[in-house]
Amino acid sequence: MTWLTEWVGYLPQMMSGLGVSLLIAGISILFGYPLGLGLSLMVTAKNLAVRTLGLAVVEIGRGAPALVILYLFYYGLPKFGIAFESVTAACLALTWNSAAYSSEIMRAGLQSVARGQQEASNALGLSQRVTFFRVIMPQGMRSAIPGLMGVAIQVFQGTSLAYGIAVPELMKTAYNIGSQDFNYLQIFTLAGLCYAVISMPATWITVFFEKRMARHT
Amino acid sequence: MTLSEIANGKLAPRTGIKLDNISKRYGDHIVLDDVSLHVEPGTVTALIGPSGAGKSTFLRCINLLERPDSGTIQVAEHTIQPGKDVNARDLAALRRTVGMVFQSFNLFPHMSALKNISFPQQKVLGRSREEADERSMQLLERVGLKEKAGQHPGRCSGGQQQRIAIARALALDPGIMLFDEPTSALDPEVGLEVLAVMRELAADGMTMIVVTHEMQFARDVSDTLVVMADCKIIEQGDPRAVMSDPQEARTRRFLRAVLER
Repeated sequence: MTWLTEWVGYLPQMMSGLGVSLLIAGISILFGYPLGLGLSLMVTAKNLAVRTLGLAVVEIGRGAPALVILYLFYYGLPKFGIAFESVTAACLALTWNSAAYSSEIMRAGLQSVARGQQEASNALGLSQRVTFFRVIMPQGMRSAIPGLMGVAIQVFQGTSLAYGIAVPELMKTAYNIGSQDFNYLQIFTLAGLCYAVISMPATWITVFFEKRMARHT
Repeated sequence: MTLSEIANGKLAPRTGIKLDNISKRYGDHIVLDDVSLHVEPGTVTALIGPSGAGKSTFLRCINLLERPDSGTIQVAEHTIQPGKDVNARDLAALRRTVGMVFQSFNLFPHMSALKNISFPQQKVLGRSREEADERSMQLLERVGLKEKAGQHPGRCSGGQQQRIAIARALALDPGIMLFDEPTSALDPEVGLEVLAVMRELAADGMTMIVVTHEMQFARDVSDTLVVMADCKIIEQGDPRAVMSDPQEARTRRFLRAVLER
């Protein structure tokens, strides 16, 4: 019972930490998905330079741990006179991370659209633009939804890395509370629960979508 | 109103097509070897032959889904030389004139039957949604699928999907319709529904080129039977004459295989 009363005491601070985590995750996903779509198009482009650039951005984003990119943005870039606030640096790094991962999921989704869809659109005389945005993309994105939701969960949990550059997010808040009265076990259990409370329903929604789509195809 | 009157609004002038010296190769592999075919306005041409003969490729060259390496395509007042640069306006004009129906239907699965037919009209012809929907409903009724308007293709049988696909192509007022084995993916019984629609279209005077294995249809409906084998047209003429008295040994062998089974 003492745990519960302690938790209730910690909760206001923890909620503000959770708010920061959600904000960073939200921004990173909001910008990461469209960038990911752009990258998925670059990676499949005919132009070699465009393709190479896209591939480089994607492979660095997926190849390097998010923490490394985070540190590069926050500690590395000031060397070139570019300094970010810690929250901005966290958003940039996680945006890159989510763009890179989502681009591969979107590329797979777009490529899974039957070739006949492009042919039918051509035969009907639909423009390339209309064909992409109204025929190919809606179908490709549909099959990408479960994967993209997975990326969102991953990005949300990845915000805990921002602890490393002193962003007052959930993890940092927990650590600060813990270091005051050394109730590490209680506070990190609560932190874990906070992450789970968001991540688990998100996972259930993903599974629900997967099942729904399996039914319709 | 008949099917193509609905399709063409006010009985558009029939369109013919002239294909001359069409050649196509993939690397060293020749698929079409100097193929020429003239189709008179308002006639039905059936394209038959063994698989690998190049029938489908030839058909797909007509609306440039496949780009021939050389040759000339004359349709309506447009002359296109696919071996050279084809400008976007000629390509658009060609595809507006030529409608196509695929073996695998290729309906848009995320749109209702009605939207499948209306959406291209809005985008390609610039019709308003009301205009497009009205035309779509007329066509759906004509192919016997008015009640399927709100359904998605996944909820329709293969034969229904193919009839929706025919309506989708007709909605753009084509002068010529290409059919690429339209019944090959269907059960024989279901295929009949589709063939019935095609017969009606032919009776209305639509110019049609049909790649098919339906010999009965080819014999009864087509004006010209074209036999392709080994990347060439080896024989063509009146379907009854060609079927009863083929001149080429290869034609005889093929016809024996398909007719006497």
